[in-house]
Amino acid sequence: MSADRVTIVEENLDRLLAELPASARPLGAQESLRPGSSLTAARARDLFEDMVLSRSLDTAARALKARGQGFYTISSAGHEANATLGALLRPTDPCLLHYRSGALFSSRLRQVPGSTPAWDVLLSLTASAEDPASGGRHKVWGSRAAWIPPQTSTIASHVPKAVGMAFALGRARRLAMEAGLPPHSDLPQDSVVMCSFGDASSNHATALAGINAARYAKRKGNPVPILFVCEDNQRGISVETPSHWVQDTWDGRRYLNFFDAVGEIDQVWDTVELAIRTCRQQRSPVFLRLETIRLWGHAGSDVETAYRTLDDIEKSEARDPIQSAARRLVEMGAASPEQLRRILTTTRTRVRAAMEHAVGRPKVVEATEVMRPLAPVEPEAWRAAATRALPAAARKAVFGRRLPEAETSSTRRTLAARINQALHDEMLRHPEMIVFGEDVGRKGGVYGLTQRLQERFGQARCFDTLLDETTILGVAQGAAQVGLLPVPEIQYLAYLHNAIDQLRGEACSMAYFSNGAFTNPMVVRIAGLAYQKGFGGHFHNDNSIGALREIPGLAIACPARGDDAVRMFRGAMAMAAESGRVVAFLEPIALYHERDLYEAGDEAWLSDYPAPDGSEDAALLPGEVGVHNADAADLLIISYANGLRMSLRAARRLEAETGKCARVVDLRWLNPLPVEAFRVHAAECKRVLVVDECRATGAGIADAVIADLAEHGFQGRIKSVRGLDSYIPLADAANLVLVDEEQILEAAREVSA
Amino acid sequence: MSRVVLVLPGRGSYTERSMGQLDAAHPWVRAAEAMRAELGLDSLLELDRAERFSPARHLRPAHVSPLIYLRTMLDVERVRDRHEILAIIGNSMGWYTGLAAGGALSFEDGLRLVQRMSMLQEEHGADGGQLVYPVVGEDWRLIPERRTAVDAVVASQPGELFHSIHLGGQAVLAGSRAGLKAALESLEPIQQGRITYPLRLAQHGPYHTPLVTDTAQAARGFAEDLAFTQPEVELIDGLGRRHTPWGADIERMRDYTFGAQITGTYDFTRSLQVALCEHAPDQLIATGPGNTLGGICGQILVGLAWRDIDSKDAFLAIQEGKSPILESLDR
Repeated sequence: MSADRVTIVEENLDRLLAELPASARPLGAQESLRPGSSLTAARARDLFEDMVLSRSLDTAARALKARGQGFYTISSAGHEANATLGALLRPTDPCLLHYRSGALFSSRLRQVPGSTPAWDVLLSLTASAEDPASGGRHKVWGSRAAWIPPQTSTIASHVPKAVGMAFALGRARRLAMEAGLPPHSDLPQDSVVMCSFGDASSNHATALAGINAARYAKRKGNPVPILFVCEDNQRGISVETPSHWVQDTWDGRRYLNFFDAVGEIDQVWDTVELAIRTCRQQRSPVFLRLETIRLWGHAGSDVETAYRTLDDIEKSEARDPIQSAARRLVEMGAASPEQLRRILTTTRTRVRAAMEHAVGRPKVVEATEVMRPLAPVEPEAWRAAATRALPAAARKAVFGRRLPEAETSSTRRTLAARINQALHDEMLRHPEMIVFGEDVGRKGGVYGLTQRLQERFGQARCFDTLLDETTILGVAQGAAQVGLLPVPEIQYLAYLHNAIDQLRGEACSMAYFSNGAFTNPMVVRIAGLAYQKGFGGHFHNDNSIGALREIPGLAIACPARGDDAVRMFRGAMAMAAESGRVVAFLEPIALYHERDLYEAGDEAWLSDYPAPDGSEDAALLPGEVGVHNADAADLLIISYANGLRMSLRAARRLEAETGKCARVVDLRWLNPLPVEAFRVHAAECKRVLVVDECRATGAGIADAVIADLAEHGFQGRIKSVRGLDSYIPLADAANLVLVDEEQILEAAREVSA
Repeated sequence: MSRVVLVLPGRGSYTERSMGQLDAAHPWVRAAEAMRAELGLDSLLELDRAERFSPARHLRPAHVSPLIYLRTMLDVERVRDRHEILAIIGNSMGWYTGLAAGGALSFEDGLRLVQRMSMLQEEHGADGGQLVYPVVGEDWRLIPERRTAVDAVVASQPGELFHSIHLGGQAVLAGSRAGLKAALESLEPIQQGRITYPLRLAQHGPYHTPLVTDTAQAARGFAEDLAFTQPEVELIDGLGRRHTPWGADIERMRDYTFGAQITGTYDFTRSLQVALCEHAPDQLIATGPGNTLGGICGQILVGLAWRDIDSKDAFLAIQEGKSPILESLDR
């Protein structure tokens, strides 16, 4: 059915071009179609070629699919007026594109000499390893040279990061200048960021969050040069969008300029040009609705007649934007029918010919190659970067007369204080580092973790955001892509789930889908886990990290002690800075201000600050575990975070009671798990207890640790204690569902018996 | 008709074998002779029919450039109606010839451009020059260490040594005397046949570098005299940009011709890659005197593994088969 419609639409265009009468007055190549318009005859003909190229690639996609050689058929057919955006935006205006942006891609790459848009798309359709956008991993629009970071864009999840990029453009430039550094990116000062999506996608929470954040930031006085483009084809798969829904929703909003690009191709051109100019000059959010139609259904497999009448389909086909453009170009004298026929024939022929070459290009044949850009592991570079000594004079200027390593007061030696001090040192080390989130600025964080950062490093580097985790993580991605090193804070682990796709579908997939061409390095600080003595209930005591652990490429650090936290934070920052990694830094809230380990007043949970003096052990990297009671070998307890402290207490009681000595290993890194290390300790101790404070089923690390040991030949006794599969209630009832010291002791007795 | 891309040669293409091929009666030859006489320059026919080949005389820029131009244009005329010409690319001065061959300049304007540029090169190009160094082995496969060495010596001589032309498996560097000296001293000598690389190119200035900015400025003096028009055939320039019959921006072509083409790296490799990837021609036709670009094109094909050509042997096998990928008009 849909293949037939492809033929029909192609034939309609051929017929039109055969029948169109020539214009009475041909324009010169550099003459405008209308007085005052910058669309010249030559540019209009180029635009026509870009539209036709996109259409030809769409037909090639279907032919390839039919031959079993192509793997993507969602087309740009009917959306080709978006070529105007590709022609009018500069190649240094980053574009985060809708999946129907084929013509835009063609016209934009035309601006980058030496590019090969037809070939690139064919390699992408055929999933060749040589596909320059993604290395054959996905059919995406992407180009490093043309500043098109690839997006999947199907759920508008790219909108928040586009806003983040627009927000960060000026800030990145200013921070580099203030630090006396070259610009963090190759983007000029007056760049704008463009982000496109469909009308159906404009209803996604991520789209709403992104547009809201842009308006909010503008209202607060920030430059936010973002151009939202809604390619409105009035339909999402089978569901019709209510008439004028996009206009009704977005027109007339404060802090958002609205433009409606409709009509003939030259009129669309002029509106698009005005929208871009407004965005560029005013550094303000602009919403451009671009009227399009959808031809040939949602994708090749979509039977459109199941939900549309033939009459309706034919009406859409009659509005084919390529036909409209052809008519208009001829009518205005910008092209002769013969010229357009030549463009069409040449383009179809060259795409068909190139297609036959593209199908033979190499495919991805190794899993290691699939995964290569996902999570680069470069420990030598990380170690070198993380342990580089910081100059004492600069540190004194930041910390005042007393450096953290000289602090003696117990309140300055807690986990919270140590993280705060580490943040200061890293801000010094990385002039491109920014810290932001809810309440992190003037207040200094709900638990004081970011205190004094804004005062010492300025509002440009430490600032409050609006209350939206999607926005926070969007800003982090956008800022990272323009060269900043973001350390966003998620106030509570439970809040992350509101926004986790920004990590899962977006941040962690960027290097993968772009074959390493784009990265968004960041360290996301997340306050989490339970044991807040009954306060706060579930949303402040969430004890599940399952949703983080399953994200490909995400590293998870989870320190329990202050000194570990400092060294791990340095390692995490180096992973981001050196390898573009995304790292979650999970901080156990209940240990932030803990002082004691065994007895009240022993202050054994306070720690000394590992000075950034260039020593090798000033940083910790994935795989490096903490070993307590290293000489003990009757039992191995594997734990982390709150579980570590409880395990150490239980171990002491076990020894007192039974004389059995337990070695306690702090995993520190919850992804990737330090398997090599715990296998060795397990082999030495022969009995293993895993203490996992997360919920029992899939929420923590116990299953993975036990499975790993079993699969690697561990023969000894093994047991785990875990939280119950429940949300956390208030007050003492919280303890009913959490792992406690008694349970650990009981299990330790059993395993070591 | 087969779908072909024409490949037009640069200055290094003229050899003793190229002599004796001009038809005195051809109107273009007559037009060229008239212009030469007007400028007080030696007759091209005389040069073509000279008893012996004199490198000092024949390879003088003001002589060799129009000889190559004329010979290339005559070749293009021969093949024009036999094939569907998808695009024209050229190496270095091949861009000027391409402008005329593709119809963006008249024959006469193309000749004037070539003649004037060659004279300016003589006037301005005293100091410095070009050298060639292969970055592929005899099998035409890339030797990464050689490319690294070339990049390293260029990086070590800022302002003195530049990538002049990306020419398939050959790195063409250009620079001042100091820059060239550094390159000659630092690049490990390679013996291929009778030639030792790095090889200095006789009578070549530091083309396609900022060192010839004077030439570019002087050339702008006559840029406006040339009547650029929309080409009839697509031209792909030394940045890999397509100039189509329908969309070419005449001012941009002119700017490029008298700007980046002279002072920036000429990426012949990229121009051929664009031609191959965006047009997928049946065949490449190398025109003009000599066959210098045959091997270069082969090396670029090997670099892309185009049509499974992944080595010199594979290229030669295709060439000897039923449908060779490259036809050279000067066999």
